[in-house]
Amino acid sequence: MNLVGSEWLKLWTTRTTWVMLGVALLGEGLFAGLYVGLAPLSEIGDIDQVATGTGLLLVMMLVLGVLIATTEFRHGTASSTFLVSPKRYPAVLAKLGVALLVGLLAGLAYFLVNAGLALSLFSERGGELPPTGDLVEVYAGVIVSYAIICAFGLGVGAIVRNQVGSILAAIAFFFVLSPLPELLPGSIGDYFPAQAIGSLHGSSEGDGSLNQVAGGLVFAAWAAGLVALGTLLICRRDLSE
Amino acid sequence: MAELEVRRLTKRYGGTVAVDDLSFAVEAGKVTGFLGPNGAGKTTTMRALLGLLRPSSGEALVEGRPPVAMTDPLGTIGAALEATAFHPGRSGRNHLRTLAVAAGIPASRVEEVLEMVELTGAADRRVKGYSLGMRQRLALAAALLGEPRILILDEPANGLDPQGMRWLRDLLREQAAGGRAVLVSSHLLSEVSQTADELVMIRDGKLVAQTSLAEFTAGGGAAQLRVRAADLAGLAAGLGETAATVSRDGEALLVGGLGAEEIGELALRRGIAIHELAPQRQSLEERFIELMGDEEATA
Repeated sequence: MNLVGSEWLKLWTTRTTWVMLGVALLGEGLFAGLYVGLAPLSEIGDIDQVATGTGLLLVMMLVLGVLIATTEFRHGTASSTFLVSPKRYPAVLAKLGVALLVGLLAGLAYFLVNAGLALSLFSERGGELPPTGDLVEVYAGVIVSYAIICAFGLGVGAIVRNQVGSILAAIAFFFVLSPLPELLPGSIGDYFPAQAIGSLHGSSEGDGSLNQVAGGLVFAAWAAGLVALGTLLICRRDLSE
Repeated sequence: MAELEVRRLTKRYGGTVAVDDLSFAVEAGKVTGFLGPNGAGKTTTMRALLGLLRPSSGEALVEGRPPVAMTDPLGTIGAALEATAFHPGRSGRNHLRTLAVAAGIPASRVEEVLEMVELTGAADRRVKGYSLGMRQRLALAAALLGEPRILILDEPANGLDPQGMRWLRDLLREQAAGGRAVLVSSHLLSEVSQTADELVMIRDGKLVAQTSLAEFTAGGGAAQLRVRAADLAGLAAGLGETAATVSRDGEALLVGGLGAEEIGELALRRGIAIHELAPQRQSLEERFIELMGDEEATA
């Protein structure tokens, strides 16, 4: 628990986290407000689509996850961290806890911004809101997806310790490589992160064959696999600087 | 039991051998100076003792056990490795707080160590703006945080001004007097010769000497005598017939392998008046350089 507290403190005692979250939430807010406020109602169509956001916060949470792992290697503070936790894996698990926590927190903040702006503007302009149950499902999926993608980034960061390389690897894998299997025949694409997160958002029905919970589990399994491999590597590798 | 011990430690990186079959021990209550030129393997050895590196062969032990087995790491061992290993955007106080929280150390201890290293005034500034000396002191504060029984400090004097060096010496003496084991590395003998009780000298990853500072100071290698005489050439010829080693040093001879008595008697037999007959001690620096065989040691 002490280690989680320490990682939480690390996260909020540099400006990076504040700036990233601030910028992403501002961007999401602007999109929700301007698009739903100004676009013709017929074009907005399904408000579900608006609820899943622009993807900006999703990218930020992926990158933040990478940073939670790699910043310590970049600045050499990993040595201090692993002196307090010589077996290392407890410190990595603490980072995982913090990644999930900050993902949920970002998701809740996103929910307040998006629901507050998009839903109220939409209904004010006479748009017809979907049943509350549907909205709850969509937002729950979106919030959870931020937590999982942050853990996913952490896993990539633990494997590729170079910060820039790791950010590029995470983005390339998530946004370029993982959608490719969708082109293959059959449903194999559903089991890759890009499609799985679509299922988790509950907004891509018709695209994927997985339901929301299954999509979430598939995506979580990817994140867990990466974190497990990254933890193993961190426990084995030398810290020479 | 030694507080720190390396036994036949070897660390290879690909084809390079950073530490080569190195063995030595560090005792409680003493400051052990860990000396060697840059690249001799000091940092690698220290990192192995901290469990940050895995030995290729041999062992690095903390209180007789591998470092990963430590149950109270910060209370056992405090380390200051690199003065640059901080997040530049985090304040000094917050850096210490992250460590304190992780180890369950109360926040009041953070203030104590900040006070000890005289950083309280700068504690809320981001490390980015710290001088090298301030970073060294922050690293020391982190090492002292858990009131450890063992301190491992890698080149802590780098970047300190003369007052800072003096302050560091006092601190290390104080820690050793309190029963702690202190291992402090340097590539400069002068930095540790006023502080260390024991010296461990390595070069190219191998042990060159482990000795107490007292022995090292008293030793002087093969003692030589400096001799001046009325007839230096005649005396040199006479000495040449003995087993002595003789070399010319300006207006004097440096003689090894013979005592002052023998030289005096030889001169008397030859009727040569002795003007000076004095033991010649190599300076510590000269001996250190000789051992290290490296220009860098003189830097």
